[in-house]
Amino acid sequence: MQGMILLAMDFGPLWLTFKLALITTLLLLLLGIPLAYWLAYSTARLRFVVETLVSMPLVLPPTVIGFYLLLAFSPSSGLGQWLDQWLGVRLVFSFEGLVVGSIIYSLPFMVQPIRSGLASLPANLMEASDLMGKTRLITLRYVLLPNIKPALLTAIVLTFAHTVGEFGVVLMIGGSIPEVTKVASIAIYEEVESLNYAGANAYSAILFVITFLILLLLNLTNGGYFKGLWKW
Amino acid sequence: MRQWLYTLLFGMGSLLLLVVGCSEPPPQPLTIAASANVHYALDSLVSVFEEQYGVSCEIVVSSSGKLTAQIAKGAPYDIFLSADMRYPYSLYEEGYVKHEPVVYGLGSLVLWSFHTTDAEDLWQVLTAEATRSIAIANPKTAPYGRATLQTLEALGLEEQVGEKLIYGESISQVNHFITSGAAEIGFTAKSVVLAPGVDPKGYWLEVSPEHYTPIAQGMVIVDHDGYEVPAALDFYRFMLSPTAQSILRYYGYQIPE
Repeated sequence: MQGMILLAMDFGPLWLTFKLALITTLLLLLLGIPLAYWLAYSTARLRFVVETLVSMPLVLPPTVIGFYLLLAFSPSSGLGQWLDQWLGVRLVFSFEGLVVGSIIYSLPFMVQPIRSGLASLPANLMEASDLMGKTRLITLRYVLLPNIKPALLTAIVLTFAHTVGEFGVVLMIGGSIPEVTKVASIAIYEEVESLNYAGANAYSAILFVITFLILLLLNLTNGGYFKGLWKW
Repeated sequence: MRQWLYTLLFGMGSLLLLVVGCSEPPPQPLTIAASANVHYALDSLVSVFEEQYGVSCEIVVSSSGKLTAQIAKGAPYDIFLSADMRYPYSLYEEGYVKHEPVVYGLGSLVLWSFHTTDAEDLWQVLTAEATRSIAIANPKTAPYGRATLQTLEALGLEEQVGEKLIYGESISQVNHFITSGAAEIGFTAKSVVLAPGVDPKGYWLEVSPEHYTPIAQGMVIVDHDGYEVPAALDFYRFMLSPTAQSILRYYGYQIPE
């Protein structure tokens, strides 16, 4: 019975979910490291404002983010019109839109762990590197980041997992288009609504198991179980 | 420090007492679970009903599918106004409710847009190349979505517009997509464009009823282990009365013979 359901199941939404999570995580890593670095070391007063903005997605209901993004990205808004005319992209009801939405939604999950990791490093690490005439970029790449590996890993995994679990933002700006914006959480919601509990169960169970494994792997790694197995 | 903590606790405690102490047992209110499309008419219906029967009503609006799932799991609703007959019948057949559902109105489909200056143009907007998003209710979960697909099929437009369709989880999300301009055009319920609260109205056009199966909307009394709130039966009768029917007609529903 269960096997039948798995065979008949459309794996598109699951594949789309992991594609979205992967792209979001990669882009956020590129964006998150400089932002976290700036937040950790800047003395500008503006950093308090930026830090607050970065943590906002933690407390705001995702529907609020989705609602504002829908209004902002809509082709009848100024920003939406500009994007449409000059770049030819439309961020409502498109995969690109989901990526932008997810980056905002998962931003704190990438930035906070890296920022805390950097802030907890002793200042003399950076000072030593400075004295040896290394540039800030070299220091970051070869001194700071290797010293906060657990924090980096936590940030990457949490961002990925949090994006997999995204629902409210996608519901607002996605439009549930198969293969484009219909991610697993939306598919589950629709299966439940159409009273197809078996279908909803199949998606949910897969997500449950995969996210459990991801987080377990993170905890094992940070707990030192794989020490020596991976190096970079 | 400790003093401050006690003050805070005392304050919160007295606030709690105030809240609990002041709420008298209310005369058993009626909780109505309604699908999104009927929400607009329901406000008027409920205010007339409350006046006539002296019962206060609470309205829970959601999509029919979600409400059905909640009722099956024992949600504390007393009456359920669905957007179709399938959901209430599934509750009836599975034994979650003991009364058979009844049709209270037939819903109509309209084409609605803010991207035009003339209602005649709406079909052109629908097929225009510049139109990139067409909002429809999700046919999987919303009867208005199924009616929309039938219409597109009947008009032979499926192929042409299929790629542009975006799916709202319920009629309310479709409305949101259309009114915010995120989608250039969309199909929604007639009750929405006729509702006094909806403004600015843009342009709308009724879809000819011959293109789709009439959207028969069902109502069912939800009992709680066999017990029915007395007001539920009152509301049930009220919904089938001429007063309610004239309100439903005003909102664009047809009344079954």
